Amino acid sequence: MPKTLEATQPDQCNGCELCSLEAQRQLKKVGLEESLIRIFRKKGEDPQTVDNSIEIDPRVNMLNIEKISEICPKSVFEVVEKTEE
Amino acid sequence: MPDLSTKRVLKIDLNKKEVEMKTFVDLNKYLGGVGLGLKLMEIYHNENPLIFAIGPLNGFFPFVSKTAIVLDDAGSLEDLYLGGSISLRLRFAGIDALVITGKADNKTILDIQNTQVSFLTETVDIQSLGLPGKRSVINYEKNKVLLDDYFTTPENYLEKTFTEKNLQGLVITGTEIYKPDNFEMYQKLYSEMLEKADLSVEKGIYPSCSNCPMGCGKSRVGEISGNVLVNSLVACQFADKMYTDIGIVFSCLNVLGYSYTHEDIENLPKLIEETIRKISL
Repeated sequence: MPKTLEATQPDQCNGCELCSLEAQRQLKKVGLEESLIRIFRKKGEDPQTVDNSIEIDPRVNMLNIEKISEICPKSVFEVVEKTEE
Repeated sequence: MPDLSTKRVLKIDLNKKEVEMKTFVDLNKYLGGVGLGLKLMEIYHNENPLIFAIGPLNGFFPFVSKTAIVLDDAGSLEDLYLGGSISLRLRFAGIDALVITGKADNKTILDIQNTQVSFLTETVDIQSLGLPGKRSVINYEKNKVLLDDYFTTPENYLEKTFTEKNLQGLVITGTEIYKPDNFEMYQKLYSEMLEKADLSVEKGIYPSCSNCPMGCGKSRVGEISGNVLVNSLVACQFADKMYTDIGIVFSCLNVLGYSYTHEDIENLPKLIEETIRKISL
């Protein structure tokens, strides 16, 4: 069964970008250009907070997504097994 | 991939609206953001510069997350350390330091993408600038300079400098890619550092600096002054233990292709002392 990386708790994201950088390292790159995971920040409603949102390119599923999920300190991701219908 | 054997400095003159990309081949011994920042302060002191500078490990290794800011506050040199995402953006813009001189005629926003700079008026919506996911936004509003609406610096030195320079904000986008030659070793070292996680703060629920998983909350306000060697290698007092093992430091430097010696690190405090003395003359 194919496995996919899903951000099941995006509200927990602290914006550290470890996931984006891990995905890039798996492609032998250091940098954020053409990263398969992107983190967008915007001001939170409370002045002490920032809201982060996560964009996942489906091509990330060709990588070691377990490792990407594990590197997140806030357990934002889950590796989900899709059953083919 | 930008050349790591030189120091690449983006100099922006607000008065003339001129930009110059300078490459210094002789500044590598000024290891770390604060060392480089102080040396650039010596070079450009007559132009009253505001300097943002990063060290050799910024962008490459975990916990090395802060950017040194060096400025002259009415004759008093100040070194501040700003967390958040800006050290990664500077690295991925391919620059080691940003030197902003002069004073703008009107309130100005700088939109920087790698080494390209646009001078914009304050009427532009700063949040519309740069490339989302690859940018840092520094905005001066409500008497405080905020990075990404959250991170800031201690005291009000940066705010005073922004006011003096008529600087409303700056956006930095970095799109460069690095490929260390020995990528497997680089990856191994990265993982070792991340697993080591010997920090003096607990994991928290706050926004985190880029390349740091902690979300400690203490980095929101950044730091001021402190230990020169810690600031040179990581610029984060809470991560000082991570890089006090000099063997690890050299492994990290070597895998990126830097050729520092033990003498370079041992001599750094003295070199910084001499630089500060020259600036004060």
